[in-house]
Amino acid sequence: MPPKSGSLWEWVIPMTFFVCASWVVWQLPAFILDWIPPASESLYGQVEAIFVRSDIIALPAIFGKHIDIVDLLALVMIPVTLILGIRTVSRASLESENFRAIDKIAMFLGRVTMMMIVTLTCVMLYEVFVRYVVERPTLWANETTLWLASFVFLLAGLYAMQQRSHIRIVLLYDAVPRNVQRLFDVISTLLIILFASATVFGSYKYVFYNKLYKWELYGSAFNPPIPATLQPMVLIVITLVAVQAVINLINDWNLDPADLRTPEVDEDEIEAIKRSLGQDVESK
Amino acid sequence: MDIGTISLIVMLGLIALLAIGMPLGFASAVLAVAVLVMKFEPALLTNPMSFGDGMLTGRPGTGALNLMQNKIYGLLTDYVLISIPLFIFMASLLERSGVAKTMYDSLSMWLNRTRGGIAIVTSIMAVIMAAMSGIIGGEVVLLGLIALPQMLRLGYNQNLAIGTICASGSLGTMIPPSIVLIIYGLITETSIKALFTASFVPGFMLASFIIIYIIIRTQIRPQDAPLPDPVPGDPVGREKAGLFFAFLNVLVIAAAVVLCARAGFIEFSGQNAANEGEPYSLASLNAFFKLAGLAAVALGVALFVFGKERSARGWKLGKGLVPPIIVIGVVFGSIYGGISGITAAAGMGALAVFLIAVLLHYTTEEWVALARSRAARIVMIASVVLVIAIVLPMIVIPNSTLKSEMRFMIIAIAIFASILRIEAMRELLWDALLRTMKSTGTIIWVTIGAATLAGAYTVAGGPNYIANLIIGAELPTMGIILAMMLILLFMGAFMDWVGIVLLIIPVFLPIVRRLPIDEIGFIGQLEPKNVGIWVGVVFCMNMQVSFLSPPFGPAAFYLKSVAPAHISLTDIFKGFLPFIGIQIMALSVLLIWPSIVEVLL
Repeated sequence: MPPKSGSLWEWVIPMTFFVCASWVVWQLPAFILDWIPPASESLYGQVEAIFVRSDIIALPAIFGKHIDIVDLLALVMIPVTLILGIRTVSRASLESENFRAIDKIAMFLGRVTMMMIVTLTCVMLYEVFVRYVVERPTLWANETTLWLASFVFLLAGLYAMQQRSHIRIVLLYDAVPRNVQRLFDVISTLLIILFASATVFGSYKYVFYNKLYKWELYGSAFNPPIPATLQPMVLIVITLVAVQAVINLINDWNLDPADLRTPEVDEDEIEAIKRSLGQDVESK
Repeated sequence: MDIGTISLIVMLGLIALLAIGMPLGFASAVLAVAVLVMKFEPALLTNPMSFGDGMLTGRPGTGALNLMQNKIYGLLTDYVLISIPLFIFMASLLERSGVAKTMYDSLSMWLNRTRGGIAIVTSIMAVIMAAMSGIIGGEVVLLGLIALPQMLRLGYNQNLAIGTICASGSLGTMIPPSIVLIIYGLITETSIKALFTASFVPGFMLASFIIIYIIIRTQIRPQDAPLPDPVPGDPVGREKAGLFFAFLNVLVIAAAVVLCARAGFIEFSGQNAANEGEPYSLASLNAFFKLAGLAAVALGVALFVFGKERSARGWKLGKGLVPPIIVIGVVFGSIYGGISGITAAAGMGALAVFLIAVLLHYTTEEWVALARSRAARIVMIASVVLVIAIVLPMIVIPNSTLKSEMRFMIIAIAIFASILRIEAMRELLWDALLRTMKSTGTIIWVTIGAATLAGAYTVAGGPNYIANLIIGAELPTMGIILAMMLILLFMGAFMDWVGIVLLIIPVFLPIVRRLPIDEIGFIGQLEPKNVGIWVGVVFCMNMQVSFLSPPFGPAAFYLKSVAPAHISLTDIFKGFLPFIGIQIMALSVLLIWPSIVEVLL
């Protein structure tokens, strides 16, 4: 029997992290304005105008002119829930057994991604409901799903990297001796780092200055800051993936070829399907 | 560097990187960097010390290399892409929902006295499941667990049993909704709805080929499919047929009532009057009365022609078919009924499957017993929730128009929370989410890598160069297409479909688009605007073969993991041979008569 997963805390901690992180991302202009204010007057005014329009709870500011107590609380809760989550995350029944303490970061971010999938499904169904039953479609639902989904896509890739489930062809890889496999792994990892550094090198200024710092909006009626947040996120996640590739290389260095071999099918998944069919299958 | 050299290097580089076991997505992404370097700053290759002088490295943080990030951003903000995790989510819920088991029991009851009945049931069931889910894997496992033991116990020919399960189980990506078609539509900018519509006929054609093959084979060789001993008390012959029609009649009543209620709601809530676009289908006042009349007639037939008792018995025997019909109705109703796009349809499907999984978790009797034993508590909680739902919005947002939305949210959260009190449902949801995330990550990151490579290669002028090369060679049109099919079949034997659609289709499609259209096929004439759709369906059919073809046919490995130990992989692949023949036959029909994809368009 694989370990049970999905207990209450495993839902609550990632969910809290997700809520706090979304809050901080949404209120990011406040932090920009107070902590790293733009030198140019016009840019300051631009970002401030956006901030005033999108500030949900207008409490009096405590630091500087924009950050209020809720923003600060959310900011503090991010590292708290992150550490709590990383310390408590446990292997789920469908996951690879091959992990160390450092892998738990990717695993916890995976849990957060799962919460994002639930949220995005709910937002989408809510939109279908209000559009066709109450007949008052929202402005925000479609773009919120888009925004959430794009983060899901990126973070799911990090998780897949940690689980070593990215699609690859192992025809030759499985046939060569372990030392050659190590050489192959080193080449792959170096090339992944090359790709990550080329991408970051190619766009860091454009993304972090033109998009994030100037807080570029999507340009629609609801106008979420999708370019301002997603484009930096692309670079951040690609970097994390490259780091995870190095971690994988170190973790797998001393493994046997037998343990390394990627199974064609997921045994745990088949077990789960068997369980769902009940006892009568076992007896046949 | 000229584009010919770059193309050659990309091809060789891809083969080399894949051979050393590098993940496909990252291999393509690295090659995208390589293409950009070769195109814009080849000096970097001969003289690395020149870093910082050229087009790419001269302006760090911006410039031509920004193409990578930009392509990824563009891909991620494509709204259709969201349907992929949702369809995977729906399929993962479906695999564990218990829908398959009840459906199988119901179907096999109707056909168990027919020669080859269990094999036919397996195919029909696979078709129904294919219409609910867009991926393969889970389906083969389910059929292998449910149908294989039964067929082997009855003494069915082992090859027939294995081939039927895997060939039918692979139909998931041929019959819409299909993830293969979604990704294809995404990267070629073809309408996914049109692709779905076009693939119906070829998909059902392949399914019927499989069923016809089973019927012919078992008629010629009855020893391949012995009949089970009749169970006393089961209906036989005409009685069974009567019961089946009684059951269908009940379905007609239910469907007419539901559609009638919908039409009534739309008409009387004033949506028809307010609607300025296309009129809603089957939602006018006229349709409302017609549907009501149909329901009444069918009810009369149920009561007086079939009789109450026979209708009830037919319903009891056939009700396992109802959940799949509902799911299919929700998904295709959403897509074609004008309610929502592909993406929202996937979300609705996932919700429908989840609710059905909850309902099927207990039998009807168990639900009744549960409700009885906790009646007081249920009534109490329900009334508290209702009171909160009515009062809370009035206090919190007294002046807002969003009261009914808030009420809906409160009630929805209450229902969801009470469902999650069942431990098995919590686990189901958790596992399904985990699987969704993992599969999404693998599929999307191949797409990300391929999008960067395709972007870089297009900037370098690659696809045009290849198309000119092929067209310039003046080969016969059908010869080129046949060569493409061979390449696809060959690649399919070694590579995952995601890789093929992302790396090969962007090269193939421009070539096909530039071929003289009147030379494609032998019967019928394809319309120029439908070429992209035809190629998509043909590609999908090719991938059917790839699921079965040795040495890596994924269906074989899925079946192996649940088959009895004495069945080896070689046995499984041997069982596939006639079915691969059938798939190639269906593929040839698509090539000879291309306008078959236009039948429903």
